[in-house]
Amino acid sequence: MSHDTTASRSLFSGTPLRILIGFILVVNGMFPALWILFTSLKTEAELTVKPITWLPHAPTVANYLRAFTDQPLLLFLFNSFMVAILSTALTLFISVLAAYALARLQIRGRDLILSAIIAVSTFPLVTLLVPLFEIMRALGLLNTWVALILPYTVLSLPVCTLILVSFFEGIPRDLENSAMIDGCTRIGALFKVVVPLSAPGVFTAGILAFVNAWDEFLLALSFNSNPALRTLPVGITLYQGEFAFPWPVISAALVVGIVPVAVLIVIFQERVVSGLTSGGIKG
Amino acid sequence: MATVSETTLVAPQNESGTKWWTRFLDPSERTLAVLLLMPAALLLTLIIVYPVCRLIWTSFQNLSLTSGLPATFAGLENYSLMLDDPVFWETTRNTVLITLITVPGALFVGLALALMANLPFNVKWPVRLSLLIPWALPLSFAGLIFAWFFHSEYGVVNDVLRRLGIEGVIWFNSANWAFAAICLTIIWKTSSFMALIILAGLQTIPRSLYEAADVDGAGRLRQFFEITLPLLKPAIVVALIFRTITALQTFDIPFTMTRGGPGTSTATLAMYIHQNTVDFLDLGYGSALAVVMFALSMAVTAVYLRMIRAKG
Repeated sequence: MSHDTTASRSLFSGTPLRILIGFILVVNGMFPALWILFTSLKTEAELTVKPITWLPHAPTVANYLRAFTDQPLLLFLFNSFMVAILSTALTLFISVLAAYALARLQIRGRDLILSAIIAVSTFPLVTLLVPLFEIMRALGLLNTWVALILPYTVLSLPVCTLILVSFFEGIPRDLENSAMIDGCTRIGALFKVVVPLSAPGVFTAGILAFVNAWDEFLLALSFNSNPALRTLPVGITLYQGEFAFPWPVISAALVVGIVPVAVLIVIFQERVVSGLTSGGIKG
Repeated sequence: MATVSETTLVAPQNESGTKWWTRFLDPSERTLAVLLLMPAALLLTLIIVYPVCRLIWTSFQNLSLTSGLPATFAGLENYSLMLDDPVFWETTRNTVLITLITVPGALFVGLALALMANLPFNVKWPVRLSLLIPWALPLSFAGLIFAWFFHSEYGVVNDVLRRLGIEGVIWFNSANWAFAAICLTIIWKTSSFMALIILAGLQTIPRSLYEAADVDGAGRLRQFFEITLPLLKPAIVVALIFRTITALQTFDIPFTMTRGGPGTSTATLAMYIHQNTVDFLDLGYGSALAVVMFALSMAVTAVYLRMIRAKG
């Protein structure tokens, strides 16, 4: 965004208009999250006032306390975090190996493998609900983290591999060769030279894999019915009672669920954008 | 690398072992390639290739875990059952409608957001974050948040409508309004990813093209249709393929907003597959439904790929 490059540049010239457009963008992106934050700070009584209030009049953290006590929210967070971090680690390990082979080694059918990877990235995993359910049941993996870690790894493998291939291709071969002259094996050179030098790419791929796993709902809902193993998105639906819908408490739980990923996004925004768009345009 | 085995000569009894390890750690390029691709291949076999075969096989079986009976071959029974199943047709129709409404919807909103975000703002991070947050928000969270937005009594949507002097509606009591609320939510949630992809495409368009067009006296609108859009096409096509495939799989947002209600009027094919598999444990019928969805998304991919190749 360093300079204006499009036809829109003087269509929207003039500072006040530009501020208005920026405001529209920010409201569009942030309002839902902000609204849920306001709701989470309201008392039950304020919530049922009509006409509704926008900003909380008497902010309270009571809903947050209830969010943690009505349901084991901390446990949901822990499950989500472990599933996301373990599947991210597995995705990175497998895609680093595959990407190195595709970027550096002479492989017959390299283009075919790359197209297969792109095909996998558009694969509708929902359709495999039945067979995956059966496989996990047969392996005794239902209601374990592993039942989610394996499919989540497949979910992120294509985009991570594509990102890493393009990063690895940018590392000069000489650096690797000199490490090998110093006695490194090829795999040693991969982990001691190529991966550290591609740290930004590995990092970007890792964030995408983490967010994918953190967000997934259907498989988590289907494979881990035991409340003790529910991930956050599934756990939050448990706050809905048979008839009651405790909105302030649900809002508080949602805010707790949004914060970790929001922090990640705020800190690494530029990495995330570059990862998303390179994966997208390449794909 | 041969020096590795020399240094270990002090322990000659281990020599053969050392050689084996040396060969393992420093194999020929071809062996290495196979070794490196092996974990990915194994995982994809376990999670995709084998399940696809199994899915097709199970769709021709009578397999209901509630009956306790072993699986029996059913031929096309599951498929013929499907043709007479009104819920199958309703959920398929809903899924196709959601795709036809939200994919172009997200494209237009995303294009507008991208054009706005591409302005030379002095401070860039608020705009960037505003596109990233909706992308990072879990779909199920978006569904819950917007269910609250569209709440008939205390929702912000009806409040804004009331301020504008419009009578709000009880969104989730009517099939059509519930469907509209779901589509609006999906468009909001997915347009920001579209915008990010299009924005990246916009930033690769050389400025000189617009300067040349200025010299030739082409207006802004003409520049948009003759420079911007054609050059954005590759980025847009890729984003559309992904968006269409995920729209066909729509589950999280209708599930969290309406649970498919009222009745089954907002249920999608993915929700029906989930219900048959997890709630009814009718794996045979669930598989046959999944095969239909599989065929649907393969068809979409094929059409798009042909479009890319045809227009090059």
